[in-house]
Formats: sequence, C-alpha cells, structure tokens
Amino acid sequence: MTFSSYPEIKTFRLEHMAEASKDHFRINKLHDEIYKQVILLALENTEKEFGPPPCPFSFFVTGSAGRSEQSVWSDQDHGLIYLCHSTEAQSYFLELGNEISKGLFESGYPYCDGGVMASNPLWCKSISEWEKQLSSWLEESSWESIRYLLIFLDARTLFGEKGNVNALKKQIFQMADHNHLRIKFLNNTMHYKKGINVLGRLLPETYGQHAGSLNIKEIGLFPYVNALRLMALKENLLETSTLSRLESMSETASSALGKDLYKQEFLKLLKYRLQLCDQTDYDSGHYLSLKGLTKEQTRELKDMIKHGAALFAAVRKLLEKEDSYGAK
Amino acid sequence: MDTAFLLNSIWVMLGAVLVILMIGGFILLETGSTRMKNAGHIAGKTILTFSISSVIFWAVGFGLIFGKGNSILGFSDFFYSGYDIDGMSLSGAVFFLFQLAFAGISLTIAFGGFAERAKLGAYLVFAVLFSVIVYPPIAHWIWGGGWLAEHGKQDFAGSTVVHLTGAMAALAATIILKPRIGKYNKDGSANNFAGHNQVYTALSVLLLWVGWFGFNAGSTLSADAGFFGFVAVNTNLAAAAGTVAAMIISWVVLGKADVPMMLNGALAGLVAITASCAFVETWASIVIGFIAGILVFYSIRFFEKIKIDDPIAALSVHGTAGVWGTLSTGFFATKELATVGQPGLFYGGGLHQLGVQAMGVVVCGAFAFVVSFILLSIMKAVMNGLRVTEEEEIIGLDMSEHGSYGYPELVKAEQKINA
Repeated sequence: MTFSSYPEIKTFRLEHMAEASKDHFRINKLHDEIYKQVILLALENTEKEFGPPPCPFSFFVTGSAGRSEQSVWSDQDHGLIYLCHSTEAQSYFLELGNEISKGLFESGYPYCDGGVMASNPLWCKSISEWEKQLSSWLEESSWESIRYLLIFLDARTLFGEKGNVNALKKQIFQMADHNHLRIKFLNNTMHYKKGINVLGRLLPETYGQHAGSLNIKEIGLFPYVNALRLMALKENLLETSTLSRLESMSETASSALGKDLYKQEFLKLLKYRLQLCDQTDYDSGHYLSLKGLTKEQTRELKDMIKHGAALFAAVRKLLEKEDSYGAK
Repeated sequence: MDTAFLLNSIWVMLGAVLVILMIGGFILLETGSTRMKNAGHIAGKTILTFSISSVIFWAVGFGLIFGKGNSILGFSDFFYSGYDIDGMSLSGAVFFLFQLAFAGISLTIAFGGFAERAKLGAYLVFAVLFSVIVYPPIAHWIWGGGWLAEHGKQDFAGSTVVHLTGAMAALAATIILKPRIGKYNKDGSANNFAGHNQVYTALSVLLLWVGWFGFNAGSTLSADAGFFGFVAVNTNLAAAAGTVAAMIISWVVLGKADVPMMLNGALAGLVAITASCAFVETWASIVIGFIAGILVFYSIRFFEKIKIDDPIAALSVHGTAGVWGTLSTGFFATKELATVGQPGLFYGGGLHQLGVQAMGVVVCGAFAFVVSFILLSIMKAVMNGLRVTEEEEIIGLDMSEHGSYGYPELVKAEQKINA
C-alpha cells in the first residue's frame, strides 16, 4: 500500500477510523500505520528535492502516540535522531521534519502547541547533540527541562533503528539515578485535576460547552500515566505504554503496588474514553458526559479515578522514601 | 446644646461618610467582577446614579419616607432645607445625609442587575423612578412609622429596606434585559465570564466591610452607652463567618477554594447581619453569617441554572442573604435586645416575630419586584429597548456609551489579538 498524496492518506484514515475505533489496540495500530505512510511519503518528497538522507536516522513519536494511548483524535508529538553530525545534515533533517509535520497535519493530526515536533531544532538533532542536550537538561533540572525529559521518556521509535532512542533513555536513567533527580521528576507531575469531592461526588466541568462532562484525560488517565512513567524512570524500563510498563515492573514493585487491578482499571478507562466520549473533535474527545451514564457506570468511573489517585500516591510514597534515604 | 446631641451627630456623620464610601466599594466590586471593556462605564455610572439619587432624595425621597402622612407613605418635608427634626437627639442634616446614603446604596445594588448590557439612558431614567416610586414606600413602611413598623418588623439597618429592595429591582432588570451575549451556549450550558480583576473584588469587599460599620453601627443613630460597638462586633463576626462558610462549601462541593465565591460569602454575611445586628447575641451573628455564606453559594448556582444572568451576584448576595437576614431575627432576637418587636423563636417568643419578618419579606419583596418590573417594561417600550445593540455590547459599553475605554491600551491590545 503506497500513497501519492497526504489527502489520500487522510481519506484512508477516515475510511478505517470508524471500524478501528471500536478497540483501543486496533486504533493505535491504525495511527501507527498512518504515521508510517506519512513518513514514507514525506521522505519521498524530500528526496525528490534534496536527494537521499545523508545518513541513517530514527523517527520517534512521544506523548499519547508514544504511549500507544491515542483516541480518535490526536495531535502531533514527535522528534528525530540522525547519526551524522554536520550543518548540512541538520538542515536536511529539519526539512524532512517539516515535511512530515506538514504531512501529518494534512492527514488529520493538528500541530503540537508545545512545538514537540521534528520540525523544531530542539527535537531534531544528531545523536551526539541529543546526548549533550539530555545531559544539559538533567544538569539544569529546571521545571521546563524536566518536562522535556518526561516527554522524552515516552518516546517510541516508529521509523529507523530502535537502539538510538533506547540508548538515550538509558543515559537519562543513569544520570537521574546518580544525581538523585527522580524526586524532581515526581514534583513536576504532582498536580492533577481533582475528580471527586470530599462527599464522594464526581466533579464535572461547571462552565463552557463541556459543562456537565468530566475531563477523563486529566482526571482519569493522567494519574496512571504519570505514576507509571515515574516507575519506568525508577526501574529503567524502556517500555512506553502504561500497560506494558505495569507489566514489566520488577517483582518487588508490582507486589508493593499491585498491578492486575490497575491494569484492569486503566484498560477500562481507555474503553470508556473511546466508547463514551463524544469523538467529534480533538477537544470533545476528552470529555465524558455524566448525563448518559448508568448508576453502575458512574460507580465504576469513581472507582477508576480513586484507584488512579491511590496508585499515584503509592508511587509518590515509594519515590519519596527512596529520596529520604539519600541514595538508592 | 447638650453633649449627647453633639456626640450623636458626630457619630452618625461618621456613619454617613462610611456608607457613602461604600459606593467606592461597589465600584470596585462591579468592575472587578465584570470585563475590562465595560470598566470605565461601570465605574462612572455608579458615581452618576448616586448623584441622581441624592438630588431626588432631597427633593422628594426624604419626605415620602419620613414626612407626616399615613401608614403607606409620608407627604411632608419635601425639598429638605437643613432643619432639626422634632424628637431626634441629633442634627437633622446629619440624619438626612445618613438616610440619603442608604437610598443611594439600594439603587446601586439594583443596578447590579443591569451590568454589561443596559444603555446609559436606562440607568438615568430608572435612577429617578426607583428613587421616587420603589425605595421610599418600603423605607416608610419599616422605618418611617408605616404599617410594618406598627407590626414590630425588625430590620435594624436594612436587610429588607436596602438590600432586598435593591435585589428585587435587580431581578426584574435581569429578567427583562436577558443574559449577556455568549453567557449561555445553545445546549443551555453556561460560560464563565470571569471578572477581570480579582484584586479589585477583594479590595471592594474590604471597603464594603469597613463601610458596613457605618451602615450597621451608625444605624444606632446615637452614641449612647457605646452600643454601636456591640453592633459593630456582630457585623464583623457575621462577615467573617460568611467568608469561611463560602470557602468551605465551595471546597467541599467543587473541590476548589474559589476566591470570588469566598468574597461573595463575606458580603452575604454582611447583608444578613444587617437586619439583626442589634437584636442578637454575638454567637448568633456567627451562625447567621455562616448560614448566609452557605446560602449564597447555592443561590448563585441556582440563578445560573435557571438562566438568570446576574453578573455580580446581586440577587444572591443582597436578595437571598437579605431574606435570610430578615428572617434570622425571628429565630435569634433576644428578650433584652429586641427593642423593636418581640424575641425570636429560640428566646421564647414563639413564631410571632418570625411571622412578622416573613410577612415583611414577602410584601416588600413582591412590591419591589412588581413595581420595578412594570416600570422597566414601560421604559422598555418607551425608550425603544433597554439594552445596547449587539455590536455595542461586543465593543464594550465604555466605547458605546462614553466614547473611551477605561483601559485603552489593554482593550486595544486584546482586540488586536482577537482580530
């Protein structure tokens, strides 16, 4: 299957989305497939104008795409690592990044507001520059640089050699361990939206077009996602999806935290989002209207939220305990 | 001239000054709670309508309230010239000024319901009509020796007379004016038009809080035995309890400590204690303020739900809390302190006083609402609508009604971004 234009890819996306959106794993496979087709076409277009790439490269996705946790609508989050180091190479791969980004946009993926795209020099670098950049982010360990590192931890190679992303992640693991930085990663993700009040009632939006709906992404999913990303950092896991991170935790960690319950709850959350949220656009896709829910569903939803909060609290305790010992 | 007369005059003069300064509080409250493009208009019209109210009060308002007449209305002492009043142990002019300030506050509250959409002309005409036809009858009934005074209605400083009257006029106005453009979505959900300056709103509450010492404690009309101190203590406690209550309830129900809600709680506590500040014990004023803080939270949500767009929460802060404050003396008025009427339910007075209070609330509330509604409906017909055009509302009333913005640089910068 090859495509000769981005609108064609968009049509392909539209044709297959309805069917794929019945299942969390299938929809993420479809997104990957579309991304790959866009990359191939972008590469072809770039080669026509600038010739073949000067050296091998890896293209990675991050954010919800990196975690394979996309819903129907998803914005772009990606970056690029190339293996040679020269200004010509840089300008070539920035052109390529630009083309991919444009292609994704034309295929139905909005641009990333935060600029996490291979068209941005910050996210399109040679491997040696990436090493330097990660080191300086870790050394700086400001709120912003830690945020970039958190984003990088969700990176997943979609095109090219996987080893590059993984080698860079190992560098982060090592430095974070050495310099006792995990607590900083924790502090960066501590704040999330409250979903249940002290009376045990759900807290939907009070104003705007989503009034009466619950922000399932921030309230439901984020505590799980953030908790498991921190565990990945602690346990040096290269996996990116929350479910596979849960699966690959060490025996000690999973017996301390418990894992089957959380796997089950997180899967259910993904299912609720996919099946019950209004998927007409990117924004609406994260809001779950509470009006249509049955009593049973409401109870389940509350449980999922409570368990997410409990999981995050347990991970937080684990990291704080580790920190209070001063070292591992 | 005796010392008591002098001291009383000085004390009440101080009260009048504090109450007039509350107009400044309302300027900050209304502008802080609304959007930048209307700020200059709201600030300016508040001074203007207080001025209109002052002149009307001098010409007819004072006479209609305190003149000799029947139990419905007074009919003498128009165009007051500064003389002392028989049987009053303070300067007549000071008493007049103090009462003028109250009339001005009630009108300012009513205009809360006009905010961000009424034409300037509507403000001017209604300022006159309210000051002649709506406020004086109610003030006469309760404070001017009218029929409710004969029943022993307790309203020490005006939970009903000033606050409920203003709020009911505001209710009529919000209903007739309809919601601001963009307040409600097609599906019925509400949008939050966050006020442009929470610091203004917080400062307004402090200014009103301090002004309220004039409003309530000044209503003793006398420095005798320093009783005003007790009234001021009750006032302060109710405001504090209202603040804390609104903060707690918004945290419990919404999961966040909402600042505008907390500030509305302070004002609700003040409004509620206005009727009862001289009749209840200190602990009761905390209870009264606390309940007001809870009520105002639910009231604001209620009005929003039934699609009554009340930009500065005048209906809830002055109306709902005003009703509660008036009823509260029916529960908490003590035997010793009830110089007017009888003790409340919790002090062996039975249901009598509560009944009187309830009757006062119903009759005064209904009168203020119905009369305001009729007046505004006539104005709407005669003035070809009370509301500015859609275009004017969008560019802001600063520009449409006055030709210049209160924050010229900021509004222009914002418009550039949106364009």
